[in-house]
Amino acid sequence: MLIVAGPTGADAHDGGPYHPERPGRIDAVMAGIGDLHLGSDLVSVAADPAPLADLARVHSTSYLNELEAFCADGGGDLDPDTFAGIGSWEAARRAAGAGLAAVDALRDRGDGVAFVVARPPGHHAEFDRAMGFCLLNNVAVAAASLTAAGQRVVVLDWDVHHGNGTQAIFWDDPKVLYVSTHQWPLFPGTGRAEEIGGVTALGLTVNVPLPAGATGDVVRLALEHVASPAVDRFAPDWVLVSCGFDAHRDDPLGELGLSSGDFGRLARLAAEWAPGPGRLAFFLEGGYDAGALRSSVATTLGTLLGGIDGPESETTGGPGEDQVRATAFRRHRAIELAGESAPMDL
Amino acid sequence: MTGTPLTIAVGFDGSPDAEAAVRWAATLAAGTGADLVAVHAVGLLEHAGIDGRATAHRQTVERIADAAGVDPGRVTWSVVDGDPCSAMLRVTGERPEIGLLVVGSRGAGRHHGSVLGSTSLELAERSHVPVTIVPTGRA
Repeated sequence: MLIVAGPTGADAHDGGPYHPERPGRIDAVMAGIGDLHLGSDLVSVAADPAPLADLARVHSTSYLNELEAFCADGGGDLDPDTFAGIGSWEAARRAAGAGLAAVDALRDRGDGVAFVVARPPGHHAEFDRAMGFCLLNNVAVAAASLTAAGQRVVVLDWDVHHGNGTQAIFWDDPKVLYVSTHQWPLFPGTGRAEEIGGVTALGLTVNVPLPAGATGDVVRLALEHVASPAVDRFAPDWVLVSCGFDAHRDDPLGELGLSSGDFGRLARLAAEWAPGPGRLAFFLEGGYDAGALRSSVATTLGTLLGGIDGPESETTGGPGEDQVRATAFRRHRAIELAGESAPMDL
Repeated sequence: MTGTPLTIAVGFDGSPDAEAAVRWAATLAAGTGADLVAVHAVGLLEHAGIDGRATAHRQTVERIADAAGVDPGRVTWSVVDGDPCSAMLRVTGERPEIGLLVVGSRGAGRHHGSVLGSTSLELAERSHVPVTIVPTGRA
């Protein structure tokens, strides 16, 4: 069963025809879901605006107040990449609310997989600022709602860009394990292997930077060789995926070499990390080529729901294997240097 | 701060305020013999070629520095992935010889009068070296 939270953002928060983070992305995602012909196996839940109390778990009240006022005043450019208009506050709250609705639906049903079809995306948004097309950190809002209830959460982020906002928000949180594979160097410039978490969560940030051109086999190696041991020890109650499909080889904002078939394989790995049914949710992040977005969504979900293979086979042979193995060593070294107080021996 | 900063870092995004900041920093560098590092942050759109103006920006910085009398050998151009504030902070962290950051009061396209999205105010709050914010219309 697929639980779709949303869609939301298909007719709001529009930065103009030249901005790649555009409302039409939602149409591409929904077309990919439609390609699966799920019938009664598809359940939709509404995306209500996230309550301010939930947003305030991961964002400062002053930032939330100012963002709301900024949008109400007509908005404008927040930085060279990030815009906000008069409808953006509502759109961002609905995107965050969609994540909460997805988690609630999974918890109520105890079964299925959820996909949060919402924009603007979130993983670059920090505690007190917007950046990288992101206003509110959707996956962080959902993860924080779970940790507030005593749950342990893995956030897997396979967007081509490092999720600096999510990392920073949970830097010192022992209830969240953040795992990211991303192209490096690339915006936002964070995500080095030596970034391993704060003093109360040493080892609970796992970054695997990858060179341009890295293919699906390299990303799988990164997750299996570097991240999986940490996930096994962490023993999560939930797995939330920041699934940016801009790691696809056709995407205009990155240079990784993945196919839609690779995302299906990665989704299976994420499902293996989840402790059981009803504990896995995917959050739309990047993905700016409409065709790649549609096929990647269909393959990601189709692989999980019915063993459906997509039209693109998995990719192999790209650079980065040596870098992944070096990352594992550098992580160990960084944790050793950080002292004996690490909560996990990774 | 004691004595003259060995190196001055100045943020440049092509905006008129950034040009004023470069002019101010270049004048200081010319008068003190300091090195000048111009930092240009590359965001998502610029990386994708949608807003690619780095080459023109570099030429602008070099022209302003030359007009201020800075030895061209003392001017370097640094392109950094990230948002403007994080890029400036990262360069400062990686280069301990930088003793002063200089930025315009308002970057390209920013909302005037708002703390939100203000690189200069964020830098003033987070930087561990002194920050000079050059007001609009100065320098």
